Amino acid sequence: MEKWLFWFDEIDKDSNELVGKKCANLGEMSRLGMRVPYGFAISVKGFEQFMNLSGLAQGVGDHIRAQRENLRQVEVCQAVSRKVQDLIESTPVPESMRKEISTYYHALCDKAGRKDLAVAVRSSGVVSMPGQMDTYLNIIGEEAVIEHIKRVWSSSYTVRAMTCRIEQEMAVEWAPIGVAVMMLVDAKSAGVVLTVLPTTGDATKVVIEGNWGLGESVVGGEITPDSFIVNKEDLTVVDRKVSTKQGMVRREASGTTYVKVPKELQEEPCLDDNEIQEITKTAINVEKHFGVPQDMEWVVDKDLPFPENIFWVQARPARFTKVERAEDIDYIIDLMVRIFD
Amino acid sequence: MKTYDCVPGLEFDEKDDLEQSPAWFLDGTHSVPPWTPMFGWFWVNFCRHGMQYGAETLHLPTTKGWDWRFKNGGGYLTILLVDSDEEKRERETKFRQAIRPFLEDYDGLWSGFVKEMLGRYEKIKTVDGEDVSNIELLANFEYGIDTCRRMWEIHMYMMYGTYMPYVLFEQLCKHLLGIDDTHPDFHRLMSGFDNESFRVDRGLWEYSKKLRDTGLDTVVANVAPAEWEAKLQGDERGREFLKEFRVFIDTKAGWRMERMAEINVPTWSEDLSQAFDKMAIYLKKGGEFDLDGKRRRLEQERKEAEKEVLGRISPEQQGWFSVLLKIAQNSSRFSEEHDHYLDLYTHAVLRKTCLDLGRRFARGGAIEKTDDIFFLMPDEVRRAGINPGKFNLKGVVARRRAEWAEWEKAGNPPIILRKDFGLADAMEFMIKSLDPIALKVVVGKLPEARPELKADLYGTCGSPGMAEGPARVIFKEEDLASVRDGDILVSVSTSPAWTPIFGMIKGVVVDRGGSLSHAAIVGREYGIPVVMNVFEGTAKIKSGQRIRIDANLGTVFILDK
Repeated sequence: MEKWLFWFDEIDKDSNELVGKKCANLGEMSRLGMRVPYGFAISVKGFEQFMNLSGLAQGVGDHIRAQRENLRQVEVCQAVSRKVQDLIESTPVPESMRKEISTYYHALCDKAGRKDLAVAVRSSGVVSMPGQMDTYLNIIGEEAVIEHIKRVWSSSYTVRAMTCRIEQEMAVEWAPIGVAVMMLVDAKSAGVVLTVLPTTGDATKVVIEGNWGLGESVVGGEITPDSFIVNKEDLTVVDRKVSTKQGMVRREASGTTYVKVPKELQEEPCLDDNEIQEITKTAINVEKHFGVPQDMEWVVDKDLPFPENIFWVQARPARFTKVERAEDIDYIIDLMVRIFD
Repeated sequence: MKTYDCVPGLEFDEKDDLEQSPAWFLDGTHSVPPWTPMFGWFWVNFCRHGMQYGAETLHLPTTKGWDWRFKNGGGYLTILLVDSDEEKRERETKFRQAIRPFLEDYDGLWSGFVKEMLGRYEKIKTVDGEDVSNIELLANFEYGIDTCRRMWEIHMYMMYGTYMPYVLFEQLCKHLLGIDDTHPDFHRLMSGFDNESFRVDRGLWEYSKKLRDTGLDTVVANVAPAEWEAKLQGDERGREFLKEFRVFIDTKAGWRMERMAEINVPTWSEDLSQAFDKMAIYLKKGGEFDLDGKRRRLEQERKEAEKEVLGRISPEQQGWFSVLLKIAQNSSRFSEEHDHYLDLYTHAVLRKTCLDLGRRFARGGAIEKTDDIFFLMPDEVRRAGINPGKFNLKGVVARRRAEWAEWEKAGNPPIILRKDFGLADAMEFMIKSLDPIALKVVVGKLPEARPELKADLYGTCGSPGMAEGPARVIFKEEDLASVRDGDILVSVSTSPAWTPIFGMIKGVVVDRGGSLSHAAIVGREYGIPVVMNVFEGTAKIKSGQRIRIDANLGTVFILDK
């Protein structure tokens, strides 16, 4: 069996086909010297192997092909999705694969210096389909890790994911996805940073958004986060909006939960100026390295000292709807009016 | 009983109307052959309303939209110019604000309107023609009238707002890059976009492939499309296929008629054989859906052209230029999608509301047969709407039918001019309006004869390339079935029902058309040459003659004379 598990520092941006975008990205980030939580990647081949060894490839494929022409109908797609996901979730991961995953998980616990390390299990598609697949946080113990890896695989058969593949004219039967298993940072606060202002396309500034607790509340858009706009040139904070943060996502014994932010923290900024500057500096460097505006996710650890407390979990090209610049539009209108002269 | 005007208040009046405007043009694309009275009523009333609504909402500085008249089943149009410079300047100020939404959020604007219209269609479609009372059917008909009116408002507001930036872009290309809208480089910038119309065609292709994959193609081999349904019903897998195909037609593709601007022909939902006609073409052609591969290639070429063109623009100008380029590119998508979401769909639901009432009228004895309803106009429908058993409209229908037959026989003159006015004056009058619809869809660029090329016909380039093959002259949608693989299509103009044959033919010659006319846009997406505005193509070329066309030069050579 060829190698299908990789530590993040064994992969880089060219590993996209091998382990999917997210993992390749984490690999590249760690090579760039960014602080990335310890973790390992399960390759696309790993998923393929699971499907083949367990006999699912045949069953799932048959099931989808039988309805291939009707999948555009939502009801049909829902039924197929349910059936296929049940099938996957009720099929155990083959023993040989379990053993290897378990070896890597325990090695990860050793690296982090913690027994029963809490990890995040995230999907890592070769083709980017934003928001199409799942992420599971605060997974503890080898059994749970294996179970959630399977859930990520199975999430490639949700109605959304299948519809997306149909629209993009990709094969529906199987999606090339990898999985990232990474240590979960004990988050004080978390959020995103964009190296371009999404509303104006202004690339001379970055915008940082964050909240207390895990980053999911910011990424999911359920709350109004704190927002800091920082000048790239001199790292000054040119705009600071500290919102009343009522809710946050916190780790529980297993999984995560949405809780109230303690009263005394609600009006407090979730980052101090040192942290803001450190985040900005790293974001600018990463943008320089990739050559395009970045959308990155950061986490600040509760216990570690600054600046070792800042971790990075995601960096990708920013997808911003560029609202056309007002002056461009004004100019076009000036030109258009001249037609009538 | 007196037979009233078909379109009261808007029938062409030689004396008054020529006094109002010196030139009236026949809308040859939509009103040849002549319209039924009912459809003429809808078109003339509301297309006219929509164009003036659109021009006025946008405060277009030089045009107030078009005026329309109905004459013997023909739609005649003229342009309402803005006369004084003072008024023009006032309008300019307001235009600056009014055009902004098109530049700021084009997709949001268009998708909002699509949603609004789809909501209206759904409401009309859900009325069960057999089940509800006459009062409810009449109310649905009235709602159809309102929907048609709204459709034209959206149609023309969007069309003016979309084509205005296009005209600017085209002018700037001439100015900054030295290419105009008939230049092959220009076409490369405008091709390689998907749209809803093409997606319907792809759906049809997928079903034709399904026939082949399941072996059902042998069931319908050598059978006329009109017989397919019966043949398929006789086969178990065929019934299964029909059931599924029916859903596709009823929900996605079926709300359209072969003739886009009429309501007296069945929709695809009513008569599946029309969809089967297209599928027969695909079956005959075999292979993969040609549009997909071509589109990928065109998309690649477009991106290269964009890069190349931007490279020729100075860096400080690139910002606004690329914004404008993107907006201009919307024109080709809009041009195809509006046919799908607006004209075709509205006319199909209007037909439903008319037929629902027509059946009650025929049953009650107000008219003889259901489709007599198309020879009434809305006021007459209202007369008998609630109590069709109490009125006799047969006389009106008989007279109108007779007139209609006369109209078709006599045909309508292409242009009606004031005594002292020549054709050249009329063209100049049109061009003076700077009306983007008149310029880009109807008139187009006038071809230059270049005797040194020794061509038989001269036109302009709608889509670049060269081709040689037998000519196939087509006047009506019904004759499309005679088109063979490798033909060069020759016609007056084309419309959405013609799109599927673009996959078979090698090139197109049309008498009329601008760079945003149907033939040009679809020709570009299929990557075949289109020569436009040859004026006399259908008169000079005979089916079967070998012809050679070079769209880049705008030439047509007739090889067998």
